[in-house]
Amino acid sequence: MDLAAWSPDTPRRLSVAKVLALTACGIGVILISSALLGVYDAQILSQAFFFAVVAIAVDLQWGYTGILSWGQSAFFGIGVYGVAIASAHYGGGAPIAILGATIAAALAAFVAGGAGWLSFWDGAPPFFVAIVTFAIPVVFTQVILSGGTYTGASSGLPFPTPNLAPWQWYRISGCLLVLVAIAAYVFTKSDAGRILVAIRENEDRCRYLGIRTARWKIGLMAACAVLSAVAGTLYAEYATVAATSYGDFVFGTELVIWTALGGRGTLIGPILGTIFINYISAVLGGSLPFLWLLIIGLIFVFVVIYLPSGFYPFLQQWASRRLPIPGRPFRGLLSSPQPEASGRPAGTDTRSLSPSLPAARGSMPRALAERAVVLHIREVQKSYGSLHVLRNISFDIHRGEVVGIVGPNGAGKTTLVRCISDGREYSAGDIAVSGRSTRSLSAQECVSLGVGRKFQTPSVFDALSVADCLHIARSFRKPPSLWRSGSHLALPLPALRIAELTGLFSQLHVPASHLAHGTKQALELAMVLALEPTILLLDEPTAGLTRAERTAVGSLLAVLAKEHNISVLLIEHDVDFVRTVCDRLVVLHMGEILLDGTVSDVVESEVVRSVYLGEAVGGT
Amino acid sequence: MLTHALDIVTSAGILYVVALGLLIIFGVLKIINLAHSAFLAIGGYVAVVATEFHVSLWYAIPIALIIGIVIGAILEATVLRPLYARPLDTILATWGISIVVVQLITLIFGRETQFAASPITGAISIGDITYSEYRIILLGLALVLGAIMVFLFQATELGLSARAVIMNEGLAQAMGINTRFVRFFTFCAGAALATMAGALITPLVSIEPNMGLPWLINAFMLVLVAGSSVISLGWATLGLGGAQVLVSTFINPIIGGLTIIVLSVLVLRARKTL
Repeated sequence: MDLAAWSPDTPRRLSVAKVLALTACGIGVILISSALLGVYDAQILSQAFFFAVVAIAVDLQWGYTGILSWGQSAFFGIGVYGVAIASAHYGGGAPIAILGATIAAALAAFVAGGAGWLSFWDGAPPFFVAIVTFAIPVVFTQVILSGGTYTGASSGLPFPTPNLAPWQWYRISGCLLVLVAIAAYVFTKSDAGRILVAIRENEDRCRYLGIRTARWKIGLMAACAVLSAVAGTLYAEYATVAATSYGDFVFGTELVIWTALGGRGTLIGPILGTIFINYISAVLGGSLPFLWLLIIGLIFVFVVIYLPSGFYPFLQQWASRRLPIPGRPFRGLLSSPQPEASGRPAGTDTRSLSPSLPAARGSMPRALAERAVVLHIREVQKSYGSLHVLRNISFDIHRGEVVGIVGPNGAGKTTLVRCISDGREYSAGDIAVSGRSTRSLSAQECVSLGVGRKFQTPSVFDALSVADCLHIARSFRKPPSLWRSGSHLALPLPALRIAELTGLFSQLHVPASHLAHGTKQALELAMVLALEPTILLLDEPTAGLTRAERTAVGSLLAVLAKEHNISVLLIEHDVDFVRTVCDRLVVLHMGEILLDGTVSDVVESEVVRSVYLGEAVGGT
Repeated sequence: MLTHALDIVTSAGILYVVALGLLIIFGVLKIINLAHSAFLAIGGYVAVVATEFHVSLWYAIPIALIIGIVIGAILEATVLRPLYARPLDTILATWGISIVVVQLITLIFGRETQFAASPITGAISIGDITYSEYRIILLGLALVLGAIMVFLFQATELGLSARAVIMNEGLAQAMGINTRFVRFFTFCAGAALATMAGALITPLVSIEPNMGLPWLINAFMLVLVAGSSVISLGWATLGLGGAQVLVSTFINPIIGGLTIIVLSVLVLRARKTL
């Protein structure tokens, strides 16, 4: 398909120079401060730096992706014990320790991947992963305790370690933290990081954009487990003894608390939160250990209720309100980002944006019979036990055809659309898209066969900008980069056209949550069209729109079908709209097809009149 | 053989008593109450105080129940009510409550293990074996509690409201059911059942501030497997608790301690519904 592309000036773009400068700054701060600190402070901060690395792992999963992992401590513990067991039982020395660390990292990845597989099935409630990860440290602790002398059981496992000075550990842990933080920063700003946020914001939409969300989440959990395990392996060398408290449930919950207090979804918040709380704990904890924990608990409850995004974002907002940064216009908390002044981004190839298409496609008088069948539905059935919601549904949709499904409420219209967009939904029969059966294919696989589904209520990614939403919609065509942030957005012509007609181009950097209802609908339609679907499923596209907007949608659908050869299947109640837009109507009643014919066939049908349209037809 | 069978049914009874409060909160409020373990500990320390004042555990139990209602009422109004719109955050907030309660207990009673006097120390003879009388009594109590719950849910107006809230909260509210009161009442009842359970298990466990933690995760898994039905909870405790007893007896007590967690997660994954 023809693609038009432009390079919007994305503010999120990271330059290599900036990343290198940040890294150099961070390492510089660590090296300079290591010379200034006392032994005690260096020791406390070294430990805090190791823990902060794990807090980053918690934050990437929870803050960015919405996976609440209570059990990150277990992976840290696996790292600690990997090194401890290798060094204690198989001879000291670096190669053995590194081997132990590698095995531990692999084990952590395996356990985390398994936990992800257990947690993320379609329809799993979001808290389920919290329960599964809750159990991992419990299992870890029991396994260590039952290990006898091999794991040291409850008395801990001491092992030979290189004897480094506190300031050396400070430098090692500090540099590790800086490198991990920078890598995490680059990752969250990358195309892949954007997908994680999209999953957090609206997982269903992601699935119907062809993104394998479960795979992404499992992969992220495994990667974060490896990161935590690596931090654990180094921490083991620092601590010189392995103990279950490094992998137990309490530590796991502490990591979540530090992340929440610092500010989930920001990287700097959890890092500062972890360092700050650990430092204060070490200072105060000696004299008032229980009181200090009590205070932490109270603050935690307070923050969860009244300051759910944490302290760092709060302080940031407070600072920006008190001290507007010179040179930048003052922005109130509620003001939306300024839309771009020009309607079209600079450097856009206007030729490819114009709706004109090769002339050959313009006039195509085609008889239906000659056209290829895009959607082939045969005897499809959907049952819940003995209740048949759909029975014996058979019809075809041809290339470039607009078909309306009408029928009274409860007729099975939305169920049918769901069956077409997710091959695991129908109980019997067969649906083929472009000749390939969708039987037992996931929604994502149906997308790759060419099914594009737009939901009834606008379903976009509220926290992301319009440009980012469109980027996400393209990501299933091209695997997103883990470190690069694409500034180049290529859209197929139909999507581009919608974006142009509805003024989305002038709002590319506006968060989707700030869009008006109609514009949000347009954005979602543009996202679905960015998938290059051969069949577009629309559930009541005119619901909640004004009359003028309805007419615009109608002509848009005609253009998609006639010029871009996209087949459209739409559910609609508005008979006037259906009459002007659809080539054919399928009438559903009680889960069965009552009639399948041209619009006039249906409107004139006595049967249809009696079951559904009733007097309404006479009125129109 | 008979001993094993008794172990299975009495263990199931104990688990049932411990998990019941969690179940009704999860069923009606749809929230994960991690403060459950702290409520168990509160009940445990009520029994400790009762022992110090030479009061029988039988009197400590209703006191624990009342304390549970009061604590539940305070927490529902101050912590949970602002969070009903953010169900995931209630996991965090209830864990925060748990930390606060456990630290308060530690500040007052210290960290060391405490003991509460058991009202019944004897054993009864069943056939040719003798068995702990207290465990048998707990089993009976579990059955009575289950029956009361079934009665409350099925035969009272409040139970009907609660069932309506379980099925469709928005609709229940639209029908004029005071969902706010149903939530308040349910949380108080769940907290009270937890503190009572904490007092009831004191003759069988050692009492320390974190005594509720090992029970929490098992109780949770049982509740998730059972859904929101007090009757299914009985089957779940019997099946999974029974498996735990068998694994602990015939294989290894440490693996036995993990049986409920592991089996539940697998059951939930295979069933694909909660």
